[in-house]
Amino acid sequence: MTNDGNATDHPLSPAQRQRQRLSALLDTILPASEDGAMPSAGELDFLAFVREQAEDFMPALGRALDHFDDEFPDSPLPVRLARVQDYAGTEGKAFNSLLFHIYDCYYQDDRVRELIGVMPGPPFPQGNTVEPGDLSRLDAVVARSPGYRRSLR
Amino acid sequence: MNKASDNETVDVLIIGAGASGAAVAWSLADTRMHILCLEQGDWTTTSDYPTNAKNWEAQQFGAYNINPNVRGLETDYPINGDASPIDVVNFNGVGGSTILYAAHWPRLHPSDFRVKTLDGVADDWPVDYAQLEPYFVENDRMMGVSGLAGDPMYPPKLPPLPPLPMGLVGDTMAKAYDKLGWHWWPSDSAIISEPYEGRDKCLNLGPCVSGCSQGGKSSTDITYWPQAIRSGVELRTRCRVREITVNEQGMADGAIYYDGDGQERFQKAEVVIMACNGVGTPRILLNSKSAQFPDGLANNSGLVGKNLMFHPVSVVQGVFEERLDSHKGPQGCCILSKEFYETDGDRDFVRGYNMQIVRGAGPLTTAMQGHGSGTIPWGPGHHEAFRKRFDHVASIVNVCEDLPEECNTVTLDPELVDSNGIPAPKITYRVSENSRKMLAHSVARGREVMEAAGAREIVSNDLLRASGWHLLGTARMGHDPASSVVNSWGRSHDVKNLFIVDGSIFVTSGGVNPTSTIQALALHIADTMKQNLANLFD
Repeated sequence: MTNDGNATDHPLSPAQRQRQRLSALLDTILPASEDGAMPSAGELDFLAFVREQAEDFMPALGRALDHFDDEFPDSPLPVRLARVQDYAGTEGKAFNSLLFHIYDCYYQDDRVRELIGVMPGPPFPQGNTVEPGDLSRLDAVVARSPGYRRSLR
Repeated sequence: MNKASDNETVDVLIIGAGASGAAVAWSLADTRMHILCLEQGDWTTTSDYPTNAKNWEAQQFGAYNINPNVRGLETDYPINGDASPIDVVNFNGVGGSTILYAAHWPRLHPSDFRVKTLDGVADDWPVDYAQLEPYFVENDRMMGVSGLAGDPMYPPKLPPLPPLPMGLVGDTMAKAYDKLGWHWWPSDSAIISEPYEGRDKCLNLGPCVSGCSQGGKSSTDITYWPQAIRSGVELRTRCRVREITVNEQGMADGAIYYDGDGQERFQKAEVVIMACNGVGTPRILLNSKSAQFPDGLANNSGLVGKNLMFHPVSVVQGVFEERLDSHKGPQGCCILSKEFYETDGDRDFVRGYNMQIVRGAGPLTTAMQGHGSGTIPWGPGHHEAFRKRFDHVASIVNVCEDLPEECNTVTLDPELVDSNGIPAPKITYRVSENSRKMLAHSVARGREVMEAAGAREIVSNDLLRASGWHLLGTARMGHDPASSVVNSWGRSHDVKNLFIVDGSIFVTSGGVNPTSTIQALALHIADTMKQNLANLFD
């Protein structure tokens, strides 16, 4: 991430302000659910995720944050949504990449996975249980089937 | 294992270690001939596959993408698909595209080999279902196939293992087909439902198309190749063939290839077998120009690279109120319907299609696809929209028969090259009028099924771009050297010691996933070679 800002009289350091903007951006793009069951993206450690799994994305993340000023975190939700929508409209490819990484981080989170009914961790080696299904209905399929073109065999 | 040195002549040189190369290598191994296979890719290991990691879905968008142009690995070659509405998808390595395939395992029907006789279009094959039947059986046993006997749409067959679980997706869709009075059956799948030949059974991980961490999916790196290598076949990886060379008599005498260090090498051989799929094989043949074959090797007919067939694919997806656990179980193998497979004179097209029921995607893919389609927004509405879709979908993938047309081609791109400087293939392809009508029919029927299933929302895609798995027809079989490239047992009409065993030799495409038939053909060709060893080149 880049360090921005040259306002020396601001109570927060540039890095702190950038983190605020990131947190606000994450909560705008993927807020908590209305019933509070699902956490917001800002509640997860997105920066740690990027460092560990998508380091190449870090410069692009810095550039994305540069589109949002220090007033962004304190703006009302409709204003923040409009700002992000504007960014998505003008920087479509960059926004899609940002969204991909936010979703990737979010849906890898064990707490989130449990909440959506997916086992925590990778699919292997735990696997899944799948119902066998009702094969007794196939008698009717056989009875009504026109069959393959028998004469051709 | 026998090891060939650069100046040693091998008896048989196989180019490509995928579905067909593995089968032919294993079958020929019992001749005790010196057999060498050159493969441009690497071995893969199950511990490297994405489902070992939490970021497995993200890997599907990158290093394990099905599209080689997206993967961009050094072991891949680029493909110019600008002149095609369908992208080629594949994998290059030991096992070939069986590493990433869905393992849906239907065979061609008996009628598929008699298209001209039955429907007056394209051509009949020089072989038929009955000739291939013992090889289908042998191949099912070697690969490890699960399914259920008794499907009335086929002559009797007995998959070696019981069917995979249908799950809620299969049950829901089967009820819909019953309601409509249409055919359905549990899919034959090259995925083992029980422990088999030292392999553990499928764990229902879900995303088969990024490699199977369990080894339950039957890719040829874990089925044919271990046995072939134990029988003495040499498999050399990171060897990318540039061209097949010929001697003064016009017989193939070896291959020029690049090794893993990029060094140019030459391998001499008595017999050359091409097993590089319907794009890779014509690419190498067209790049093998000589005084005897100025238009490319084995191309006196002018048909090498022509008649490219994909299977145009439409998709109909239903969103259901109830949870279907869509992300659980082999994604591409559930049930299928052959209700519209055979030609029906009441329709406005000939031939037909296979309706393949597929399960759903993981959460990241669901969210990103929802973003792309506008059905799952980012922002405050995300969770509600996501909850209604994730694990609540079932899809029908309609695999439509593609008829051969000479205008659909694989040629050499004049500019694009791979990492060794070899010209890349260029795909020129259009969807025919017959296919368009078939696709439209398949979407309409798919919507009927989804309505019968009670889907609360139905979306469809008339032509799926990322669907070029099945690469067929570019060096077709036939009796007549003027209208075909190889004979009924895969031998080039022009070069008597050159054989082709991959999907290139298909005369027509059928309307099903072709790997089962490709491998049965490869085994048939290998058997015929063995029966004719004394006069192989006559």
